[in-house]
Amino acid sequence: MKLKLTLIALTLGAFATLPAAADFQQQPRAAGIETYGYTWNSPDQDMNRALAHKANVREGEAAYKVCKGCHKPDGSGLADAEYPQLAGQHASVIIKQMMDTRAGRRDNPRMYPFAGEWIVSAEEIADIAAYLNQLPIPSSNSKGDGANLALGKRLYTKDCASCHGEHGEGDAKKYYPLVAGQHYSYLKRESRESRDQGRRNASPEMVKVLKPYSDSEIDAVSDYMSRLKLPKK
Amino acid sequence: MSHSTPKFLTTLALLGAGLALAGVSHADGPPAAAACAGCHGADGNSTVTTFPKLAGQQQVYLLRELKDYKSGKRASEIMAPFMADLSEANLEELATWYAKQKPAPGVKGDPALLKLGKALYMNGNNKTDVPACASCHEDDGSGYKKFARVAGQHVEYTLEQFRLYASGKRSNGARVMQTVAERMTEQETRAVAEYMASMP
Repeated sequence: MKLKLTLIALTLGAFATLPAAADFQQQPRAAGIETYGYTWNSPDQDMNRALAHKANVREGEAAYKVCKGCHKPDGSGLADAEYPQLAGQHASVIIKQMMDTRAGRRDNPRMYPFAGEWIVSAEEIADIAAYLNQLPIPSSNSKGDGANLALGKRLYTKDCASCHGEHGEGDAKKYYPLVAGQHYSYLKRESRESRDQGRRNASPEMVKVLKPYSDSEIDAVSDYMSRLKLPKK
Repeated sequence: MSHSTPKFLTTLALLGAGLALAGVSHADGPPAAAACAGCHGADGNSTVTTFPKLAGQQQVYLLRELKDYKSGKRASEIMAPFMADLSEANLEELATWYAKQKPAPGVKGDPALLKLGKALYMNGNNKTDVPACASCHEDDGSGYKKFARVAGQHVEYTLEQFRLYASGKRSNGARVMQTVAERMTEQETRAVAEYMASMP
């Protein structure tokens, strides 16, 4: 009953305040880290469909067309706009983040209208993720001013490396992102948002680590991460 | 965007002209194309700027649009009556034939607008999260499968489509364009439309 009333209220609200914007462009809001009993990365139908799909890199390249208008043909994103670098990212991470955006666990009104199922199916997301995963990581990403790299290294080694890896390689199985070669501007923004619980799909462990960080410590560790490179295979 | 009466009358007059010309069509076109020629030109290069050029259009895109006109998913007072008598096979023939016609070269307009239009077309606007047009419609505007050819298209037609997308009145297809059109300013829209029209 309560849900029904909420739905009616939401519907009325939508009509009253948003006569022009189509309803499909309004991102839903799902329970996130602010909610008591939140479980990070709990199973989701949409995500399971993508994960079960046998991904095809070639199909992914074709489906990536709608993404590359912002994330660029080489997946390098755009530092100024804080569009993340996606080349070489783990497929599982891309799938999870896309599904969190679709479900409204990760708030992103800029991206949401291009992430919906009317643009890409769960299977296409898996294909795109496989395509991006095999692209080489560009080294042209934005970096910090380099002033506090020693502090950045110390913090990274102490707090981050156990999950994100010594070289920033992340962990595909655990859905931990590759951070090596990511834009400084993006790392900085996402770290601050995670610390302040604005990134609602963050893992509680991540938030716990970032909680005591000052802005300048976040800047230092973001700068360090942006300069990490994976060892040559 | 509602049709003002004079514009509607012009449309009617043009339709009449189109029907009168219906017999005059390219010999190699499918019979159904005869009815299209009056507005869209005998070879799909319309000269009336409110009617889109169809020559060289992507077959996949054109077929989808024709089907959407038939089902009413894409609303058009003008197109709907023409679709009523056509079968799916007719639509397929039309889309395939128009896709093979040679597109007429583009028309260059105001150079200042073209410069802005090209920048937006190639790079988008990252301040307002507008993606580059080129990523779906290709650098040369030729389109790709379900993404329409935009090169050489009439400015008036393109502008009208942006208005329909932004107001939510054109909502068929993948709906990428609704968001894009909503995020673009009037000046940006005109600049991009001019740039597309200028593409060879």
